[in-house]
Amino acid sequence: MFRFVDPHVLARISNLSLLARSVVEGFISGLHRSTYLGRSVDFAEHRAYMPGDDIRRIDWRLFARTDRFYVKEFEADTNTSFTLLLDVSRSMSFGSEGLTKLDYARFLAASLAVFSQKQRDRIGIVTFDEDIVEFVPPSAKHLEIVLHTIDRATTQKPSDYRRPLLKVAEAIHRRGIVVLISDLYDEPESILDAVKGLRYKGNDLIVFHVLDPAELRFPYVEAASYQDLETGEAFPVIPDYLRDEYRNLVQEHVRKLTRSLGDNQIDYSLLDTSTPLDYALFHYLASRERLTRTR
Amino acid sequence: MSFLAPAFLLGALALAVPIIIHLTHREKKDVVPFPSLMFLRKIPYRSVRRQRLRHLFLFALRCLALLLVALAFARPFFESSRASAASALGPREVVFLIDHSYSMGYEDRLSRAKAEVEGRIQSLGGEDLASVVVFSDRAEILNPPTSDKATLGDAVAGIQLSARATGFGPGLKLAKRILDESELSRKEVVLVSDFQRLGFEDEDDDVWLPAGTALTPVDLSSAEAENLALTSVSLERDEASGRERLTAAARVTRKAPADGSPIASSISLEIDGRSLQTKPFELAPNTSATIGFDPVTMPAGEARGTIRIEEDALPQDNVYHFVLSPGQALSVLNLEEGARRTRRSFYLERALEIGDRPSFRIGSKALSQLRPADLAGTDVVILNDVPSLSAGPAGLLSEFVKNGGGLVVVLGEASSRSSFAEGASELFPAALGGVVDRARDWGGTLSYLDYGSPVFEVFNAPHSGDFSGAKFFRYRAFDSAVSEGVLARYDDGVPALVERRLGSGRVLVWTSTLDTFWNDLARQPVFLPFMHQLVKHAASYAEASSWHTVGEVLDVDRYLAMVLEGESGDGASGRSFDLVVTAPSSRKIILPRTDERALLPLEEQGFYDIRRAGAGGGASSSSVAVNLDTAESDLSPLDPEELVASVTFRETTEAGAVGSEASDSREAQEGRQGYWWFLLAGALLLLATETFLSNRLSMAAR
Repeated sequence: MFRFVDPHVLARISNLSLLARSVVEGFISGLHRSTYLGRSVDFAEHRAYMPGDDIRRIDWRLFARTDRFYVKEFEADTNTSFTLLLDVSRSMSFGSEGLTKLDYARFLAASLAVFSQKQRDRIGIVTFDEDIVEFVPPSAKHLEIVLHTIDRATTQKPSDYRRPLLKVAEAIHRRGIVVLISDLYDEPESILDAVKGLRYKGNDLIVFHVLDPAELRFPYVEAASYQDLETGEAFPVIPDYLRDEYRNLVQEHVRKLTRSLGDNQIDYSLLDTSTPLDYALFHYLASRERLTRTR
Repeated sequence: MSFLAPAFLLGALALAVPIIIHLTHREKKDVVPFPSLMFLRKIPYRSVRRQRLRHLFLFALRCLALLLVALAFARPFFESSRASAASALGPREVVFLIDHSYSMGYEDRLSRAKAEVEGRIQSLGGEDLASVVVFSDRAEILNPPTSDKATLGDAVAGIQLSARATGFGPGLKLAKRILDESELSRKEVVLVSDFQRLGFEDEDDDVWLPAGTALTPVDLSSAEAENLALTSVSLERDEASGRERLTAAARVTRKAPADGSPIASSISLEIDGRSLQTKPFELAPNTSATIGFDPVTMPAGEARGTIRIEEDALPQDNVYHFVLSPGQALSVLNLEEGARRTRRSFYLERALEIGDRPSFRIGSKALSQLRPADLAGTDVVILNDVPSLSAGPAGLLSEFVKNGGGLVVVLGEASSRSSFAEGASELFPAALGGVVDRARDWGGTLSYLDYGSPVFEVFNAPHSGDFSGAKFFRYRAFDSAVSEGVLARYDDGVPALVERRLGSGRVLVWTSTLDTFWNDLARQPVFLPFMHQLVKHAASYAEASSWHTVGEVLDVDRYLAMVLEGESGDGASGRSFDLVVTAPSSRKIILPRTDERALLPLEEQGFYDIRRAGAGGGASSSSVAVNLDTAESDLSPLDPEELVASVTFRETTEAGAVGSEASDSREAQEGRQGYWWFLLAGALLLLATETFLSNRLSMAAR
């Protein structure tokens, strides 16, 4: 079982759809109940009629008793929008052990897409770097397009979060679940500013912070010029003398992200590319349930 | 501070390599791609800087250690002051090598050479030893090594121009010998010459002066040197109206700068001091011309001749001497069976009558009438197919041969195994055998000729005579095999001509006839020259040369025997009187009576006069013309550096002479001070410190 969720093993599967299904099928033994409300036969609750609600959903019996308009709500399997935000900036092309962060992010995105499809969610994807690269609006029929988009994703430009994410916030009209998969190379405040827009529009936001083990541990020994994949700038570095401070700075960065995103009810998870994908899926499910409960 | 081996300091340059690698290459070697330098950029730069400084400290230790190693290998020392250094250098052994070949007579070269050497003698130190060596194609030391400047000065002042050509080898070898024997450590050779290229031969490369010798060339040559020289003379003699005539021709060569203009000069022929002919000529630079004189009738007796051109800057090669001796004749006595002339000697006598250089005087006699007086003045006796040779004549002939005479024995029909008495056996290489008859197979031929022998030497060149056409129908063989002295063989291996040395003379046995009875050789074109060569070889004849070259050694008795025909005997049997030789410089040389041959080295240009001691002016005398080696007249110079490089070790070329002078002393100084040892120890200490520190630092880093 675990063999199929090891990212390095999965990297050998060239068919992204097959890969995602392998992960998801292995992961889910039985479909969970949706915590989202929708049209279904199982009554859930009444709520006050709001302008714009379908008048066919008004519970006339209750109106007769109370003289107030209430609409019935049912527990549905799902009908929510699931939007993937995939960072395809240049820094995502880094991989110290053969598997790049983008590969890992693509596996993760594909797995989540397949998983969500099984939940009968509407699936959409946005790939971005300094701007939106591709945008597939959420739809129940878009799984194949989403998988193709993920498959085609390549890194070309440096990243910028604010501009593309604001555009996405404007483009998504229906609230749903938004999953951001990125290496988050920006100041935590800037990232928070960028994702706030999505959050404020009522989306449930889950952030997967994908990093390579080398980015976390900085295991280099030889002094050399280190080149920034985003800007191309080179910088002489003696790892022995910088390692500790680097690690501290990365930890501080993660800590800040965890705190600031958590404060804004944005779920944050740090994944390194050696982490099995089922861990990410568990985390996603746990987040989703938690978000539902706190709703 | 000085360094004994400063080249090792270049090793310090190697320090630049780690510095460059450390400061530049190390950071640029590999570019490591990294997603973002966002965090790295936040790390304060000063912390990195501080780490680097610590690193450079270790690096500086390593560099310093390497620098000390390079310094140690360069062998540093503190040189003492110049005066003390000079005294420390010690006295010198100096050899002044002065060229006195005749080309040094060009303008004032010899006097300039003397002045140069005298100047250098004055600058010698008090303890320096010096010797003066003069050389041409041989070398002579004028004084043993001495520090007495007056002696040296006298030796130099007494140097005379020689008549010899230049050769650097003998002088350099003598200088080497002097230096090898010297116990002084500083050796120097001062070579004063006009450095003619012709004087430098390949074998001179084998001369290597002792290591550390400084060879200083003093070049007296000049690129503008111009010389007109008589390089060769040819003399043709012929007879006209019963008088002998001489036709002389001379070759004149002019060496001059290529841009020079033709010069006009004249050439004259003198016989016995009288100028007979003068001819003008014109010659462009670097060309030669042959100028012929009209035939002149030769005077009776010996005549001295001289050809000369107008004098130039090198007068020695403007004159050429020669001696014309009267035509010589070889006396041949033909002995036959009886007094009656037969056809047996017809072809032989006709062949010998034709000769002119030398001519042959032929006499015939019956063997039975042979008397000792007949052999006096006879050069060659021919025993032509005699039927018997009794003990008396055999003894006479044997004695004649032993005293230098020549005997040609011709075997034929009459002569047989029993023809020769016991006493005659020593005349033959082996006992005579029977007759070989080749008539059945149409005659044999001569298949082997010893072209190395004087008899057949002239036939060696192609188209110079063909013996293969002669058919030999009969000939006599020897009883036993003859291995030595066989000059010709028939095609069946039987000897045709055998030579046997006996005393000072020789016996030649021809095993077939010299008429047409047993063979047809007498009808072949080679018969006449063969007869001439045979008789000349039997008589040990050598033509007297019209001139000799300086440096040759003259066998006086032999020469007189040739030109005076018996005046001094036969040249081998000793001389009963003294000879007085007057050199061209009027120097008298007495050659005392002796049984040994008198040898006279010819050292001067001109005529040597040889006459009997005590004889008056009317007594017959002989002259020897001596000329210079004309190769010396080519003044083309050699680059002195080329010579210096070929005879000295590389590190002791002239440029390094000054350095090599002091080499021993510098080594001694460095050896006493020995700083290299401390430097090396310091380097090791630094390396140990560096190792310790770097280990500590690495452990701390972990």
